[in-house]
Amino acid sequence: MFNLIWKDLFIQKKLILLYLAIIGLYFWLGTPLFWLAFITSISFIMNAFYYDEKDNINILLNSLPYTRKQIVTSKYIGAIIFTALFIGVIAGGSFIINGMESPFSWKGVLQTFGLVMAWISLIFPFFYKFKQQYLVIGGIIFFVIAMLSFKAVIHLLKERFGEVVQWFIGLSDLQLYSSASLVILLLYGGSWLLSMRIYERKVF
Amino acid sequence: MENVIELQHVTKSFKGFQVKDLSISVKKGFVTGFIGGNGAGKSTTIKLIMNLLKQDSGSISVFGLTHDTDERAIKERIGFVYDENIFYENLTLKDMKKIIRPAYKKWNDAMFHKYVDQFELPLGKKIKTFSKGMKMKASLAIALSHQAELIIMDEPTSGLDPVFRRELLNILHELMQDGDKTIFFSTHITTDLDRIADYIIFVNNGEHVFTKEFYKIQEDYAIVKGPLDLLDADTEREFVAVQKSNIGFEALTAYKDRVADLFGEAVVLEKPTLEDIMYYTEKGRCLNV
Repeated sequence: MFNLIWKDLFIQKKLILLYLAIIGLYFWLGTPLFWLAFITSISFIMNAFYYDEKDNINILLNSLPYTRKQIVTSKYIGAIIFTALFIGVIAGGSFIINGMESPFSWKGVLQTFGLVMAWISLIFPFFYKFKQQYLVIGGIIFFVIAMLSFKAVIHLLKERFGEVVQWFIGLSDLQLYSSASLVILLLYGGSWLLSMRIYERKVF
Repeated sequence: MENVIELQHVTKSFKGFQVKDLSISVKKGFVTGFIGGNGAGKSTTIKLIMNLLKQDSGSISVFGLTHDTDERAIKERIGFVYDENIFYENLTLKDMKKIIRPAYKKWNDAMFHKYVDQFELPLGKKIKTFSKGMKMKASLAIALSHQAELIIMDEPTSGLDPVFRRELLNILHELMQDGDKTIFFSTHITTDLDRIADYIIFVNNGEHVFTKEFYKIQEDYAIVKGPLDLLDADTEREFVAVQKSNIGFEALTAYKDRVADLFGEAVVLEKPTLEDIMYYTEKGRCLNV
């Protein structure tokens, strides 16, 4: 299993400099660290997924002595490891450049993990279910609809769920972060189980 | 005799294509050629054996184990070659080896380098610069480097030049010398099989036609040539299919001895090639539908 995680890093070895350059650029632009870590981690994870899809690697992996459960699990565990790596690199870089002035706070770390895990929870089952070309089209349609409906959704939220929102705002940081963490962990676990089910039934 | 691969009553349906009630077995320690035309179900069957596809019904066992419980143990012992590229196009062969090696418990690096040298493969060039034949050789080098007991190949000789095709057959032949390896490979270049196959499994349109020892095929089947007046509804039943022309008929029979008794000196019997058998079987199926 560790081999599969290491493989996702290995196939992108030539891109590592590019990732570092992007991090440098965003430092310079003053992007919040948690957001930068989120964007780079997601790009890295999605790119590994894309390479596997593009070159029939699923046929290779499924012919090697791995089970389908391991192949899926490696992506979910790998995502957390790679996010931790990017947080490490960005925190380190930030420390070298800025000292302790704008450190990567524990909140920032949690925000990055939360965003990455929530994103992956939603997107991986779709990636396992559908072929890449449909996903691009689906993604564009989703994006357009999301943009158009954004205001309506916010409006609806305010009107209908005002109390819920109020309740959220009323929570302390600790309460908020721990409940959000719990929700995201459950989501991630559910997504992992769902992806395994989908992948077990997949044909190559 | 021990079977390495066993399919029993396997059915798999796709849109417009079906593998129907397929029961075949591959014997340990022999080379089995898997023949059939395009779309006969060869690749589907190989994918079923590799667990890349799941059968709708029926059972599949490899080394007496099933994928449900022993998938990893099975695949540890299989070397595979497919007719499509399954490597990262942008990586080198050396990188691919680094990715694949840790998957196997019994990887033998010296063996890998021996085959890389023998096949004259460049370790440092990207896979996308490889020709079809080179990709096949690269797959083969990997398949032969982890002490696999069973080598499964899907159309390994298509896309190869005649020189390397013969070289490949020699390598496979060599491989069979040292003990109880088993080779199962599909092909539609049937002359490949003359050289090394012990058994032939023939499928047509998703159905099993026969599994025979190679030499037995020539004992059972014959091409029959004779004048048209010998043909009537009864005699035509002796043939898989008949081709008629102005000067006579040519047909394939699966009952050589019976046909020899029936027609005696009136016909000429010739040894059929596998291609003849494939051709007439397909023709016979079309007529009977």
